[in-house]
Amino acid sequence: MTRATRLPNATLSTPSDREIRVERIFNAPRQRVWKALTDPALVAQWWGRGNELVIERMELERGGHWRFVEHSPQGTHGFEGRYREVTPPERVVQTFEWDGMPGHVILETMTLEDLGGERTRLVTVSLFLTTEDRDGMLQSGMEQGMNQSYAALDELLARLV
Amino acid sequence: MVQHQSVLDRSFAALADPTRRAILLRLGRSDASITELADRFEMTLTGLKKHVHVLENAGLVTTAKLGRVRHCSLGPRRLDEVTKWIASYQTLLEQRLDHLEAFLERTKGTP
Repeated sequence: MTRATRLPNATLSTPSDREIRVERIFNAPRQRVWKALTDPALVAQWWGRGNELVIERMELERGGHWRFVEHSPQGTHGFEGRYREVTPPERVVQTFEWDGMPGHVILETMTLEDLGGERTRLVTVSLFLTTEDRDGMLQSGMEQGMNQSYAALDELLARLV
Repeated sequence: MVQHQSVLDRSFAALADPTRRAILLRLGRSDASITELADRFEMTLTGLKKHVHVLENAGLVTTAKLGRVRHCSLGPRRLDEVTKWIASYQTLLEQRLDHLEAFLERTKGTP
């Protein structure tokens, strides 16, 4: 099923049952967008969505570990993963996990396309690996942990909307 | 597992839209009529009904007509942790990109 919502300069769609694809066009040359995505000093200025962001790790190479922690008055939220591919200035593939949903890994592929005229298209495809994750969690009896994370999830959701 | 997967797949499309995610969160607090939801989200009744219909098909919302008023409430399935997480993740991603865009705008002219 494919469904798209068009916004100015942005498209959100679900190309397959487990993927979310978000496309944005920025009025900036590709090199600048690449730098904003990969230079820790710059990432710290936007990734936290207005919250204080602590970049605990950012080993920007294949197999490297990243861990960012957002601090807000409502709480602290940690996110982390591993880089699977880093190809400047075109592509980053990384895993993404939120501390509140351990084991629910999302594979994110970010592709930067130079549109000329100092414009860049950023396409983010997020693949949810939920079925495998859930199988593994049920087998290892982690349902209780899931329930405990429910409260934290509600809190995050309330803060987002 | 198979059953869970199909439920998740239907939820996915239903949750892809920010308005529908907001409707679910609103109904999580209390039931509401179609008219109340349309007012709240500043939409036409027709537009809002379409969103409610998608949510109803996914089992996330149920509706019942009482007199002239159609009431909406969270469906039998409700949002489980995983579907909630998908919805939150989408919102996170969109917010990050908004902030990236604002950052690029305010640092225009730098290398």
